[in-house]
Amino acid sequence: MVDPVSASTVLTPEMITASQAGLKAVGAGLAVGLTGVGTGLAEMCIGTAAVGATAENRDMFGLALIFTVIPETIVIFGLVVALLLLF
Amino acid sequence: MLAPRQMSRLLIAGTKEQMGAVIAELYRHRLFHIEDFVGQEEYAGFKLGMPLAGATEASNDLITIRAATNAFGVQTDGAPHGRPVSGSELRRQLQTELPELDAQADELVTRRTRLETRAKDLESRSAELEPFAALPIDLDLYRGYESIAVLAGHLPTDVAITAQHEKAFFGDKKGGFIAVFTPIADREAVERQLLDAGFSAVRIPDETGPAADAIARYRAEQASSEKEVEGINRQLGNLKEIHASFLLAADELLTTDVERAEAPLRFAVTDLAFVAEGWAPTSEVPEITAALERVTQGRIHVEELAIDYDHDAVPVEYNNPSFSHPTELLMDVYSRPNYREVDPTLLVSIVFPVFFGIILGDVGYGLILLALSFLLRKYLAGEAGKLLLDNLRNASISSTIFGLIYSEIFGFALPWKPLVFSRHLNIGGEAHGHGPDAASMLIIAIWIGILHITLGRLISVVNHSRMDHGRHRIQAVIAQLGWLAFMWGLLIVIWSMFPIPFMPNLGAVGGPIVLGLNLAGVLGAVMILLGVVAVGQENALELVELPTVVSHVLSYARLVAVGLSSVAIAMVVNYIALGMFINPALENLTPVGIVLILVGIVVLLLGHTLNTALGILGGGLHSIRLHYVEFFTKFYKGGGKKYNPFGMKRLYTTEE
Repeated sequence: MVDPVSASTVLTPEMITASQAGLKAVGAGLAVGLTGVGTGLAEMCIGTAAVGATAENRDMFGLALIFTVIPETIVIFGLVVALLLLF
Repeated sequence: MLAPRQMSRLLIAGTKEQMGAVIAELYRHRLFHIEDFVGQEEYAGFKLGMPLAGATEASNDLITIRAATNAFGVQTDGAPHGRPVSGSELRRQLQTELPELDAQADELVTRRTRLETRAKDLESRSAELEPFAALPIDLDLYRGYESIAVLAGHLPTDVAITAQHEKAFFGDKKGGFIAVFTPIADREAVERQLLDAGFSAVRIPDETGPAADAIARYRAEQASSEKEVEGINRQLGNLKEIHASFLLAADELLTTDVERAEAPLRFAVTDLAFVAEGWAPTSEVPEITAALERVTQGRIHVEELAIDYDHDAVPVEYNNPSFSHPTELLMDVYSRPNYREVDPTLLVSIVFPVFFGIILGDVGYGLILLALSFLLRKYLAGEAGKLLLDNLRNASISSTIFGLIYSEIFGFALPWKPLVFSRHLNIGGEAHGHGPDAASMLIIAIWIGILHITLGRLISVVNHSRMDHGRHRIQAVIAQLGWLAFMWGLLIVIWSMFPIPFMPNLGAVGGPIVLGLNLAGVLGAVMILLGVVAVGQENALELVELPTVVSHVLSYARLVAVGLSSVAIAMVVNYIALGMFINPALENLTPVGIVLILVGIVVLLLGHTLNTALGILGGGLHSIRLHYVEFFTKFYKGGGKKYNPFGMKRLYTTEE
């Protein structure tokens, strides 16, 4: 049995604010980290193919670059979410 | 501006006697882009021309010159060495000097190859002898027996052999070497035992005396060969000093000879006449016509043909103010514009540096990059390198200006408050005020995205109305307007539902009408619906792409997000270096403190170097990506053919 009086003394408003801030930071970290992994996985395959294509035909470079950076948007969204969470 | 240089399709016809003079004149002007004759239908009865007289000799001489250029290691870096020489003088020099020069180069290179082969051979022989030097047996004792077999080879460790034998073993940490003498009858048994112990046989060299002596002899011979090679290289180097400018000039002269002599291969000819088709800038046509008439005394026919855009690939030459020239490199990486579409080079040349500055707005980094863009000029030779550095220069100037606006230098604040938005993060308790205006800046970035994409779609309307025909033209234009209606309709619906700073608040426009949407919301919904219909009527598959409207606009948030992460890195570096190492050590100076200060300085330098490199990547790659992926995909086709006029820019020689 938890004594309601002692429970309220254990959990002060400051602690609640602090833990909220902490969870926000964790959320921001997860947003950047997981989207970074996602972007990395997506760019892995595209990047290898792009390098191969460029090695065969130098003119492919521009197009290859575009294909490679398309998944970049995922991590940018993560970064934006993190910034909105933190500030 | 916003369009490539206007081109005219020219047809030049004349008698064969005039062909040489016409080719020389066209070559000199360097304006005529030859369209190769490939046996088109309208040229029935014509055939490919034959090279002019002297083509073979010039080609042969050119090959000789290039061989000598290679032998001497002359670099063609595209920079003139002193004063250009006159063509006729060079021709006389070629007659007398070329055969001699060729013989000289040939002889030296042959001798060098022979010596190098010899040195390699000697090296492998002494390597072969090396292990035998460790055993105290003369080399002639390994050979010449009738009843004794000799085995020699590498063996990891010494091994006991049961059959009758004599052996010599030498071993150290790297392994061992063994020589075994055994009666021929026992050879197999010995060999098996050795192989079990990891034996690998080597050939017994055909030498006499102690191995060490033979090695020394070979080494000495090898050294003298190598010295001779060095001498030859020095000689070649001297010859390079003397002849480099002659070779480069001769190469240029003969290349022009060959190109001119082989031009008829691209013309249509009959027994008596020739016809050349090609392109020239419209503004230069009168000059070309006049020049050709002058050299042929009027016996030439130059005609401007009508351009059939569906079949003719018009060569594209950029027509931009000099400010935009560096950006042409970024355009060519993607694709050269088509002749009839809007050439966005000017827009890119303005917007790209601005984006770069928004991302990397820092006075310190901006000035470093500005310095780099001038210092690297020595190492990045060539036209492309120069243009790339020009781009970097423009971008870094913009970065410095935005640094002043953001009040940032290497992550520190300048003595004034940020003029528009603050990017100062609260890292290490250094920041003052209320922290960065991240949300406000993100909204501004979204605005930039909305306007940039709208501009792209509007250009697409212009392109489609210029380049398409009939029903398809109307459909395509309506589809492009549909994309705009969809995007702005979506925005209006959002504005009518949520108040957003820096964006219009349409929540108060009338009360709710249907589904909780007010008047503005309904208007937006209608626009979305119209947009979907307009896009779908051109190509229903395009509807799948509609969500990209959202993702492409939001993608512009990177302008702020990437920039803030770069500021964060700079501030973290400053905090680690100053806040954790240097400042505490300075308060109480001890020997350990001095070491800490040095560590702090290293962290500071390394961190900011890394961040500068990341800044170029982040600022440059993300800015150009926003153009390539978000902006160009809205309207840009590309695929234009490069304008490549017949002729050469002379660097080393003058006209004859």
